[in-house]
Amino acid sequence: MNEDEKLALLKTILLTDEREYAENISAKINILEETLRERQKLSEKINPIIRDELEEFSASIPQRLGPTITETLKIQIAKSKDEVVEALYPIMGKMIKKYISQELKMLTEKVNATAKETLSLAGLKRKIMAIFTGVSEKEMILSNMVNAQVEQVFLIEKGSGILLGSYQMKDTVDKDMLSGMLTAIKGFVEDAFKEKGHDLQSIEYDLYVIHLHSFHKYYIATAVSGTFTETLEGELESFNLEVSQEINKKDIINHRDQLEELLLKNYSNLKFSNQ
Amino acid sequence: MVSKKIVIVGHFGVGKTSLIRRFVEDVFTEDYKVTIGVHILKKTLIVNDQEVNLILWDTEGTDTIEDIRKAYLLGTHGFIFVCDITRPSTYENIAAQKEYLSSNFNNVPILSIGNKTDLLPKGSISDKKEELDFLDMLVSAKEGNNVNRLFERIAKLLI
Repeated sequence: MNEDEKLALLKTILLTDEREYAENISAKINILEETLRERQKLSEKINPIIRDELEEFSASIPQRLGPTITETLKIQIAKSKDEVVEALYPIMGKMIKKYISQELKMLTEKVNATAKETLSLAGLKRKIMAIFTGVSEKEMILSNMVNAQVEQVFLIEKGSGILLGSYQMKDTVDKDMLSGMLTAIKGFVEDAFKEKGHDLQSIEYDLYVIHLHSFHKYYIATAVSGTFTETLEGELESFNLEVSQEINKKDIINHRDQLEELLLKNYSNLKFSNQ
Repeated sequence: MVSKKIVIVGHFGVGKTSLIRRFVEDVFTEDYKVTIGVHILKKTLIVNDQEVNLILWDTEGTDTIEDIRKAYLLGTHGFIFVCDITRPSTYENIAAQKEYLSSNFNNVPILSIGNKTDLLPKGSISDKKEELDFLDMLVSAKEGNNVNRLFERIAKLLI
């Protein structure tokens, strides 16, 4: 083999390997290009990766984004309270309405069940009382279910609103300031209607009824909890009249200690007829 | 212990609420909040060895006393008429206003006072006092000058 033949052989060996390698690379590039160009093929490759990443991300949302979302929501709610209230109001309203109607339904069922116990001694007693007193049997049952109770009594000087004496089951806000405010409210309402000789008779506050009973120089404000029916209001007014007579008889209107002793003695023992 | 109703009256922004807050809570704030209706506070004082419970009715500012609801003024034991010494319009008709109070509300004691002495140049308070000699006292709700003396004075008049 001469030199030329040797060179030719070497070229053949070298170039054949290079060509095969180049062809191989070219084929791979073609497949890659095809994969990138054709959506379906690209999807087949990428989708599993994205899916895995998404699953991992979803699983880590509570830990990674929870605090940020909570904080953002807090800020947004604080910034737009009115909008939040507006959005929640109908939902809350419906819930409350549903709850109340449910409670009323239960109450009605209870009243009916009690009313049907006609043969029991209590039932007969109630029926007889209803005939004699003119109070409906159902009203009696209702009154018994949520007994009215005198919580606080304030004897307040008319006009000035100065507290003359009080009785209360538990401590409340400043009695002197409360007496002043009650008098201011009473005065405001009576003034607003511009009719003389008429008095504000009650104020409803949360679960309390504040009954106002006017006398010549003072008025008695009584905070009553529970079901305070007109019958009980009549009873309370009769009781107030008796207490007032006792105050006049003993002439203790300006003697706070004696007055409060009398109020305690009387109102702590006050029981309405349905109790 | 005796309780006495004191009603504080006067024009808008003369410092009625600030005066009461300085006396009752010993605080002062520059924020001006309009009083609507009436606000009631109390403080107990010892005057001549006797406890006096002052029930303070802070009324909303009005141009004339007649504009205040009568219901708020009934049974008052003493009035404090507050003026702003830097605004003459708040004390121009003081004599007529005091006359109205005296004739309609049992001739009870009335103290008329000028508030905001803190706004006067230093050393000019005595000159102002001479100029506004129809006022019983000059006070400053902001700095607290004379505020306690004012309420002690009216309490003494009532017992």
